[in-house]
Amino acid sequence: MRRGVVRAGIRIVARIEVKSEITGTVWQLRSKPGDKVEEGDTLIVIESMKMEIPVIAEEGGTVKEILVTEKDPVAEGQVVAILEG
Amino acid sequence: MPFEDLLKQLRERTERVLAMGGADKLARRKAEGHLNARERIDYLIDKASFIESGRFAVGIRPEVSDKTPADGKVAGFARIAGREVALVSNDFTVLGASSSVTNMKKIRHVKQAAAQRGLPLIFLGESSGARMPDRMGAAGRAIIAQDPTEYQRLRETPWVSALLGACYGSSTWYSAMSDFVVMRKGAIMAIASPGVTSIAINKPIEPEELGGWKLLTGISGLADLAVDSDEQALDAIKRFLSYLPSHNSEPPPEAAVAPGSGEPCRGMLEIVPESRHQVYDVRKVIKAIADLGTCFELKERYGKSVATVLARLDGKSVGFIANNPLFKGGALDADACQKVTSFMVLCDSFNVPLVFLVDVPGFLIGVEGEMRGMPGKVINWMNAMSQVTVPKITVILRKSYGQAYINMACGKGADEVALWPTADLGFMDPAASVNVLHGLRQEDDPERFRQLVAEVQRDTSAWALAGLYEAQNVIDPRDTRDYLIRALQVHRLRLKNGVGGHRLANWPTSY
Repeated sequence: MRRGVVRAGIRIVARIEVKSEITGTVWQLRSKPGDKVEEGDTLIVIESMKMEIPVIAEEGGTVKEILVTEKDPVAEGQVVAILEG
Repeated sequence: MPFEDLLKQLRERTERVLAMGGADKLARRKAEGHLNARERIDYLIDKASFIESGRFAVGIRPEVSDKTPADGKVAGFARIAGREVALVSNDFTVLGASSSVTNMKKIRHVKQAAAQRGLPLIFLGESSGARMPDRMGAAGRAIIAQDPTEYQRLRETPWVSALLGACYGSSTWYSAMSDFVVMRKGAIMAIASPGVTSIAINKPIEPEELGGWKLLTGISGLADLAVDSDEQALDAIKRFLSYLPSHNSEPPPEAAVAPGSGEPCRGMLEIVPESRHQVYDVRKVIKAIADLGTCFELKERYGKSVATVLARLDGKSVGFIANNPLFKGGALDADACQKVTSFMVLCDSFNVPLVFLVDVPGFLIGVEGEMRGMPGKVINWMNAMSQVTVPKITVILRKSYGQAYINMACGKGADEVALWPTADLGFMDPAASVNVLHGLRQEDDPERFRQLVAEVQRDTSAWALAGLYEAQNVIDPRDTRDYLIRALQVHRLRLKNGVGGHRLANWPTSY
């Protein structure tokens, strides 16, 4: 993940890939494209090991894409959302 | 005046040393917002407490003796919060603080004094590696890095390292041997510089990708903390040392308890959900239990499904090892295993009691863990824990499943085990148990499934474990702080005046 950097006064928008840290099934979408999110916000909830495990934004930004829908299986390390920071 | 010429020489030579690598280089650093080697010492220590060792030492080759004030590594002794420490601050403006015969003698001297006199040792890292041409050829081999005991670590006293710029060679090795490593974002630590590395692997490499803060704090785990400035890094060193004794033969220092420290724990029922299906951030639980404002988390970005936090309880240092369901549901992976083991080594070596907060669904199973040798890491943890000699108190908050039960110091692993009424001691989740044991899925026969789940849960409750006296107490979650303070009072190391056995003192610093 990369943070947007300011060079010569122009803000370069960074594309931030958000990955699921666990294998499971998408249980809930808690955000949608266009949402502004902060570090620590829950974007998606994965059901795994009988628990509701959040996919958390490690950096703040705007949700660009949500790449899964409810009931989709996801693998550990799979990119499930794209933020712009 | 007698002595006049000699004293003049002393003054002039002192001025030359304090000018370090020259005004231009120092000005450039200042413009970049970084402190120089001597400013770092000044910021770190109690005012006017520095006694330098080797101020007039210089490089051993005559042609560089005028260009090597203090031979590029400022060493000596000072006080932090009134306690003596030994330190080495690398001066990158002097030949890149490269390792040479003379400055390695300086390191050896303060290191030896630290071990023999019981002083924490601090390395402020920023170095380019072995000095050339000193290290070249067989003659160079005979004088630099030929003695493995240079890198022996027996944990007589705490070692702390800061990575504050380009760190290769000496700064790299000493940070990998330290008990605590803090880095300034933008600093790089690696075996060799990006330039040398890119020639060796025949492709360009970005410094941040080779040894930047995200790699060190999130992937290799060799740094405990990344901060934004030199000053914050030095503050972190002071903070870390405040939890530890100066050496392993005394208990850690005590601190006053902030007023109101007992209050947050009364709100515990709002922090932890009763349902085992919902997650929470265990660091909020630790904050609620510990003395106000005393939590200092190590390796926050590494192995996040377990939190390792230094804190104080009733003014006394304590190390929390707590499963964090917020990440991976609290399932322990390879990184988490290494993190816990290194934290136990730290606490046991420096007489800091341990508190385990348990809510663990088990070890994270899967191919990645097996490829990383997960069974070996699970057993390393268990072996290290069996050799811990400081008091251990365990509180089982919710689940404690599978083999992880023993790793998290449940059962005979702790001096006292307390249970919240929510404790769940199954081998796995009750619904999953019914799937496995009875081959029944919920949708097959919901009523029978519900009955079987209830039956499994009866045998896995807090009451079942307490009934067998495998746990000594069942407590109201809101009483957790009071319980831990009381249990740690009982289990103080009275017979040895608060000093443990340090059987992990020569455990590897990373593995």
